[in-house]
Amino acid sequence: MSHIQVVDPYAPEPVSDAELIDRVLAGDPSAERALYDAHVDRVFRLVYRMAGDLDRAQDWVQETFIRAFQKLGEFRGESALSTWLCSIAISVSLNGLRKVKRFREREVALDDAVPVGFTPREADPDLKIRLARAIDDLPDGYRAVFVMHDVEGFTHEEIGRTLGVQPGTSKAQLFRARAKLRTALADFVRDRDR
Amino acid sequence: MSDDQLDERLREAARSYNAPPETPREAMWARIQAAGQRDRGAAGQRFARVRPLRRQWTRWAVAAAAILALGIGIGRVSVGPETAAWEGPSANTTTYRLAAQEHLSQSEAFLTLFRTSLEERTDHRLASASARQLLATNRLLLDSPAAVEPATRLLLEDLELVLAEIAQLSPRSKEQDLQLIRDGMERGNVMPRLRTAVPAGSAPTQGVL
Repeated sequence: MSHIQVVDPYAPEPVSDAELIDRVLAGDPSAERALYDAHVDRVFRLVYRMAGDLDRAQDWVQETFIRAFQKLGEFRGESALSTWLCSIAISVSLNGLRKVKRFREREVALDDAVPVGFTPREADPDLKIRLARAIDDLPDGYRAVFVMHDVEGFTHEEIGRTLGVQPGTSKAQLFRARAKLRTALADFVRDRDR
Repeated sequence: MSDDQLDERLREAARSYNAPPETPREAMWARIQAAGQRDRGAAGQRFARVRPLRRQWTRWAVAAAAILALGIGIGRVSVGPETAAWEGPSANTTTYRLAAQEHLSQSEAFLTLFRTSLEERTDHRLASASARQLLATNRLLLDSPAAVEPATRLLLEDLELVLAEIAQLSPRSKEQDLQLIRDGMERGNVMPRLRTAVPAGSAPTQGVL
C-alpha cells in the first residue's frame, strides 16, 4: 500500500553539507548548530559503542566536534562529511581508550591481590554478557571494525574511508575479530550444544 | 552449532553491545559552545580555526620525496655510473618499481626474522615498531604507480594485513594473536610470493631491525 507523502510547506529547505560548511567558515553560529544537529546522532552512537560509558562518550563527542570545527577549513570534500566526522570520532575514541587502558593497568598493578579462597567465576553465562566481555577484550583496531560493521551497519568501503585502510583490510580485520570471538565463546557454545 | 549459525547469533547479540541511550544533544552542545567561547576569547575567533595547510599536497610531496629518495638510493647502488645518468621516458616507473622491490625485499627479511622470533618467544616491541615503519612505506607504495600491476598490488595488500597485525602486537598479546599472524602469512602464501617478487641475489639496502 502506498502512502501519501505529507510535506510541511513551512519546513525549512534541506541544506547541503557543502552549504553548511561554507556558512560555518563564514562565521555563522546557526550553521554550526545545524551541522552538529545533522551529524551528532551517528557520531554519538558510534562513540558510545566504543566507550560503553555515558560520561566518556559525551567527552569524546564533544572533542570530536571541537576538532571538526577547528579543522573544517581543511576538509576537502573527498569523502562525505559524515565519514570525515566518524574518522575524527574513531581517532578520538581510540586515543581515549588507550588512556583508559593505561589508567586501568596502573590501578590493577596497585590492587591486583585477589583475596585468598576467592575463585573468580562467570556469574552469568548469558551469551550477550559473554559476548560483550569478549568484544571488550578485542584489540582496539578489531573492535572498531567489528562495532562499525556488525553493530552499527557501516559498509567495508565506509570503514575503509573512515579508518584510512583498504576495504579488504576491513574485511580481514572483521574476519579475524569474529574468529577471536568464536574462540572466546567456544566453551559457552559447547555447553549450549550439549 | 556451525560457524555460520554462531556468527548469526553473534550478530544478533552484538546489536545490544553498549546500546547507546538517547543522544544528550543539548548537554553536549552547551559544552561545545563553552569550548568555542574559550577559544574565541583566546584567539579572537570562534573555535580558533586552523588555516588550511594544503595537507594533502604536503603529504603527497613528502611521500613522493621518500619514494624517490629510496629509488634514487637503490639506483646508485644497483646501476653503474654511465647508465645512472640516463633519464628516459620510463625512468619514473623504474624508480617506483625499484622502490617496491626494495620494500618487498626488506619485508621478506623482516618477516623471516619475525617468524624465527615467534619460535623463541621474544619481546615483540621492536618487531611492532619495525612493522609500523614498513606499513607506512607499504601504504605509500599502494597509492603509487608501483601498485598498478595487479600482482604487486595484491601482494602489497596482503602484506599490509600481516604488517598491521604485527604492528598491533604488545607485551600483553596472547598466543592466539601470534597464531592469527602465522595463519595470515600462511593463508596468503605471503612468504613464497615475496620471495618470487624479489629478484634473486637482491638484498635490502636498508636495515629493518
